[in-house]
Amino acid sequence: MRSSVLRIFSFLFILFLAGVASFPLTTAVAKVYIDITSPAFRRLPVAVQEFAGPMGKEMSEIVRDDLDFTGLFSQIDERAHVESPSQPFNPKNWTPLGAEIVVKGIVKEGKELVVNVSCYDVFEGREMFRKEYRAERNLVRPLAHSIANDVYFSITGEQGIFRSRIAFVAEEKGEKRLLIADWDGHRVTDTGLRAHILISPRWSQDGSKIVYAAEKNRQWGIYVLDFPNMKAERVFASQGTNIAADFTPNGEQLIFSSSKEGTPDLYSLNLKTSVLKKMTSSYGIDVSPAVSPDGTLIAFVSDRGGTPQIYVMRSDGTDTRRVTFDGTYNTSPCWSPKGDKIAFSGRRGTNQIFIVNPDGSGLTQLTTEGNNEDPSFSPDGRYIVFSSDRDGRKGVYVMRANGENQKRITPRNLKAYAPRWSPR
Amino acid sequence: MKKIILFLCLVAVWGVFGCAKRQVTQQLQPGGQQQEAVRDTSVADKRGEIKPEERITEQQLAKVETKEEPARFKEERGLFDDIYFDFDKYDIKPEAKPVLKDIAAWLLKNPAARLSIEGHCDERGTNEYNLALGDRRAKSARDFLIALGVASNRIEIVSYGEEKPQCTEQTEECWAKNRRAHFVVLR
Repeated sequence: MRSSVLRIFSFLFILFLAGVASFPLTTAVAKVYIDITSPAFRRLPVAVQEFAGPMGKEMSEIVRDDLDFTGLFSQIDERAHVESPSQPFNPKNWTPLGAEIVVKGIVKEGKELVVNVSCYDVFEGREMFRKEYRAERNLVRPLAHSIANDVYFSITGEQGIFRSRIAFVAEEKGEKRLLIADWDGHRVTDTGLRAHILISPRWSQDGSKIVYAAEKNRQWGIYVLDFPNMKAERVFASQGTNIAADFTPNGEQLIFSSSKEGTPDLYSLNLKTSVLKKMTSSYGIDVSPAVSPDGTLIAFVSDRGGTPQIYVMRSDGTDTRRVTFDGTYNTSPCWSPKGDKIAFSGRRGTNQIFIVNPDGSGLTQLTTEGNNEDPSFSPDGRYIVFSSDRDGRKGVYVMRANGENQKRITPRNLKAYAPRWSPR
Repeated sequence: MKKIILFLCLVAVWGVFGCAKRQVTQQLQPGGQQQEAVRDTSVADKRGEIKPEERITEQQLAKVETKEEPARFKEERGLFDDIYFDFDKYDIKPEAKPVLKDIAAWLLKNPAARLSIEGHCDERGTNEYNLALGDRRAKSARDFLIALGVASNRIEIVSYGEEKPQCTEQTEECWAKNRRAHFVVLR
């Protein structure tokens, strides 16, 4: 009797909670200027005014470049600006130019950079936000990217990716190094990691680690680079080829390809317990596992059907389905952050970047020039980084996820490839 | 105890219906009044949201120390010819068989020597798949030697994929030279 009363009580209590949850607690909903999920949007005219004060020009240019790359905005030509940077915002100065959003900033000289930024809605004559940023002088680029992130968020309601970074492999004199650059290719940092052969860097979902494969003394090993303490540790090695590891979302396991039992098959390695489990057994090649963002699926490459193609299986190794059927050479799969797309490199005479839905529908080719490989999505899924030899030497390129605005971000004289976009 | 539970039940029921009722009344508000309210807040809101001040910092990362490991074996190259493969294939071609037979005969005469077979690919494939393909090429050669009587523990394999090309021009002749298994004697 008593337990049934308790059960009724808990049922009603859940109903009560559900009622509270469905009731809008905050009535003020932020205005969204561009619905970036809508297929047909108009480019929003934005005026990022040259910031007043030292390094103001450089900073406002970085903010402009970030916003430009998104393809969501059109910039009002700076020469047309009527209002001077030091004058207060007046909507009457901007309406005739067609500007709908105005960004103004003032940089103060001092031991460090202090920047006060305001973002205005011209139609409503209203300030959208104001904020003070402080940074050491050498961090002018990250500071400007942070401003771009805030402007982007106040307009679209989505987090920007302008402070994310890209890891890639660079080759010089037969030696390979792991480098990390800002998303726009600036501020290249050398991790110090070098090897005879170093391939397939992949970030953990929290951004604190990169896993990669390296060959030393005729043996392939899987290594994990830990960022806070900058230690690289070998977590697996055996006879045969051990390559292309990817983290599970919680960072506790690695999925990789090993030929230790004869042919390249997929294995999972628990980093805490060191328990190794075999996940696939095929006569041919199974390689390049990519764990879906929610951890439920693994995309990989297999030649079990005669040619290398993309397959998807559940993370326990069951329920394997083939995804690609067009072409005879489809490799290097990677997931979009929402898990609704797989990007890969498909050979059509030359290697090109494609995207496809995980069920095999919606195949779209994004590149046409040169050989394009190693796609990796930005953390918001709106951009793809990849490597290309279209200008001769292999380099790292970024583009929008629909293939627009492809541009090289690494120096022309540097052979660079295997890029991976960091989490936020 | 029962009384307390009954009371909590009543509270819960009130909560559910109370909320629902409020929601309905709000939906029934005439549109004009609501618009008025929105305009009011926007006027009061001329000064925008003041976001908390942000300090931009970045972790200064030390550099990883990369240690060189001493070689495990003395390597002897050039004793045997390379064998070649077709694009994206790892089966042993007929013209490769005499080379493999010579290698097997040499290994049977020199029982102390070990062999490392390197699998290589041309640059047209993608790096990871090429490493797997190079692995399969080296394994095909190894399996052939084992079939000719060489003990499996004397042959190790390593794949270099497209990472160590023999020839760097972008021509079919050059690519064909790179799709190879290379044999190194380890002593």
